[in-house]
Amino acid sequence: MTDFNNSFQKLAETAQHIAESRSINRKIAICAKYFKSIDRDSNLNLAAQFLAEGAFSNLSGKRATVGSRTYSTCAANFCEIDYEKVFKPCKTALGSSSEAIEKLMHNIEAAREKRSPQKLSLADIVAIYENIAAVSSRDDKQAILRSAWKKMTPVEIKYFIRVMTRGSLRIGFESKSVVAALAQAFDKGVEAVRYAHMITGSIGRTAVLCKNNQLDEASFNLFHPLSFMLASPIESRAVENLGHYVAEEKFDGMRTQVHLSGNQVEIYSRDLNEITHSFPEIVTFFVSRNLPNLVLDGEVCVYKDEEILPFQLLQKRMGRKRPSQKIQQKYPVLFIAYDVLFYEDRPIFEKTLIERRQLLQKVSESSRLPITNQFEVTDEDSIEELFDQALAHGNEGLVLKKKKSTYEYGQRRKSWLKVKKPGGTLDTVIMYAHAGSGKRGGYYSDFTLGIRVAEDERYEEEFIPIGKAYGGYTDEEMKRLNKRIKELTVEKYGPTLGLIPEVVVELEFDDIQVNKRTKANYTLRLPRFKAIRWELGPEDTDSLKEVERLYDEKINRDRLKQDENPSFYFASKSPD
Amino acid sequence: MNITKAGYHGILLPDLNIGFDYSGTETQYTFISHAHADHMPRGKATHVYCTPNTHDLMRKRGFKGKADRLHFGETLTTDKARITLYPAGHILGSAMVFVESDDGNILYTGDYRTPPSPASEGFSLPEKSVDHFITEATFSLPIYKWDSHEVLGKEIRTFAIQSLEEGYTPVFLAYNLGKAQEVMHMLAPAQLPVQIHGAGYKLCDIYEQAGIDLGNYAPYDRQSCKGKVLITTNSAINNGFASNVRKKKLAYCSGWATREATRSQLTVHKLIPLSDHLDFFELINLCKKLRPQKVYITHTPNASVVQHYLDEAGIASRFLDLEMEEDD
Repeated sequence: MTDFNNSFQKLAETAQHIAESRSINRKIAICAKYFKSIDRDSNLNLAAQFLAEGAFSNLSGKRATVGSRTYSTCAANFCEIDYEKVFKPCKTALGSSSEAIEKLMHNIEAAREKRSPQKLSLADIVAIYENIAAVSSRDDKQAILRSAWKKMTPVEIKYFIRVMTRGSLRIGFESKSVVAALAQAFDKGVEAVRYAHMITGSIGRTAVLCKNNQLDEASFNLFHPLSFMLASPIESRAVENLGHYVAEEKFDGMRTQVHLSGNQVEIYSRDLNEITHSFPEIVTFFVSRNLPNLVLDGEVCVYKDEEILPFQLLQKRMGRKRPSQKIQQKYPVLFIAYDVLFYEDRPIFEKTLIERRQLLQKVSESSRLPITNQFEVTDEDSIEELFDQALAHGNEGLVLKKKKSTYEYGQRRKSWLKVKKPGGTLDTVIMYAHAGSGKRGGYYSDFTLGIRVAEDERYEEEFIPIGKAYGGYTDEEMKRLNKRIKELTVEKYGPTLGLIPEVVVELEFDDIQVNKRTKANYTLRLPRFKAIRWELGPEDTDSLKEVERLYDEKINRDRLKQDENPSFYFASKSPD
Repeated sequence: MNITKAGYHGILLPDLNIGFDYSGTETQYTFISHAHADHMPRGKATHVYCTPNTHDLMRKRGFKGKADRLHFGETLTTDKARITLYPAGHILGSAMVFVESDDGNILYTGDYRTPPSPASEGFSLPEKSVDHFITEATFSLPIYKWDSHEVLGKEIRTFAIQSLEEGYTPVFLAYNLGKAQEVMHMLAPAQLPVQIHGAGYKLCDIYEQAGIDLGNYAPYDRQSCKGKVLITTNSAINNGFASNVRKKKLAYCSGWATREATRSQLTVHKLIPLSDHLDFFELINLCKKLRPQKVYITHTPNASVVQHYLDEAGIASRFLDLEMEEDD
């Protein structure tokens, strides 16, 4: 028997209490009070981790991977109800499997009889997650879940699942708020806690440092990736004084972070996964350069014959454990740096962009490391001109960076602004509607859009899916759409409705990519509603041929070579 | 027994010349179960039978057609059938229609609640056997299971009292006929001053005449509503109701409040799953108790779930697809 403050039940009740409170200050206060009530460091560590990170610490690299079908069928079995006929409609009505499971565990007698809550401790819960991570078959995972649920209350089971699946806890309380709650609980500055969180990379460890007044012990470690600084779209942020910014071209590549110490090199992707093995030539570049310890922020691009080639070609290099010589020759990659975050023996993200840039140039000069070209901007016209040049280079647009800004890791503020053009639009038709979840529970809010192939001899169908969109419309439009959907429904597959293709949507997207696993052979990047074209009919939609034309246009268009006014340079070729 | 749908509005027994919650003129005997908009006749051409309380409520809500009153337990005899109304426990006046004929006995529930709403005439079943059971199934998923009225009443009073103590004006979002008066009846023991939106206010005296205590209430008044317990509908709150009162706490009272998503969809502080329909378990148990030859299911997006449970219990069933409104 655990002391109640250290029990998972208490954590679950706190999470529920947070969910039921509307103001963010109130949520933070509830969470702070909870953190204060926990006595042991190990429990505080787990409580913060469960609320913000999931079953395991982000640093552990461990995961309790249990798919929604695995725990849902397990729950249906536990409750002795039919998964297809009963569980699925419940899930659809609520827009959440975990909430459906909570309610069924509470309502159904067969489930109640099996459960006798034991007030499990936070440590007991971790042990269960460890057991799950150690097995791989669905049967084994379900056996562990079954025996765990027997010892839990419905609200514990709901949060046990949400923590396990590392999705959002759906309580309107993300890790930023957990940081604020820690600051409030232990009377620390929010910035200090956020800093410790960033450099330890662990919310649990941060919590313990907070409690023991040891925040200053948090130190940045090489080979622990740091969250990237992100750029806001320029249209949403008023620019007060353009003279405070410099412009860089926004590459059509993959954002990466390189950590370097002696001959040890590691490369991380934007989601902080290690991807070193995919890019051996970048590792080779850094080895034996005699550089100081470094963390660099930049972009990996396919670069051939003095041209930056489109992201679509870089995809051939991604996710490959060991790219062959042939692939490396066909799609040679280059790491272009634009920021330095750690130099010699210390993090330097508190220095200004100008100061960091000076260090970056120094590194570049001694190693021929390619770095972005920076352009002064004076007015809207100069931005226009640079933007056109970036597009001519085959790049996506520009990033404007504030000269005096620090490196705001993990933040998307207005120190960096991106200037981009939407990839394009297509007129498509709604083929399927999917029940929404969370806030959109009870509505059909996600849609599969189709492109016309009626006149296409390669296909039997009239329309085939080209993308799935779940945003870009107003609440009003969604309601109108839901009404129309009712009239157009011809089939129902669980939470998905098959529709008569009638409603035309002008779909905006960032890019087109080849994807052989789809019927159309193409997928759209970031598809979203631009407008619902009530006035158009299915015969007015674009055909697959149009998609193919747009793709070819993008791949084969002329690219300005990197000889004059380049997007980046090798120090020895420096235009200065 | 021949049971058909009249479009999306109403059910007909053509052989007996009877209609339930039907708007047309094809049947000679049309029975209206209760005064909610999706059951009331649309237009005045229809000549209907209903309980006196339903009659009075329909009149206040603008029904202009011809209506004959039939008291609970009183039997109307036609050349082909004997019809008796039984209290349905949904809202004041709500009735189930029991039809006895040579082809068997039919019970049409309209909307109903068992155990009944404390602001209704109660719930009772005919003693004779039911052969054909036409039932609504609004909340026909096992995620829906209601707490007792005692627990819910306490929750409502506690929410009102606590909000006031914290300096907030409590607002209950409740449908203006039935749910609003039920909430007022549950609040009555707390003796707090209540103000109710006009559309609900005009119906309150019919409840009081029926002997239901609605406590200390007045019509909504923008100037004086601050610090009172307010009752209104979800649509009114978005159209300026008490918009001059900044510190409000909203509670949504409905069976749909079971769904957590309604919290952010309606931006309310509290969800109180107080329903005027029966829950899934009560529905299945009632079907098992009645053991009719056949159950006809209406008013639900999830008929297949009920049918699955009835199949397992060996009870034949059929889905009558009727339009349903989410105003619970």
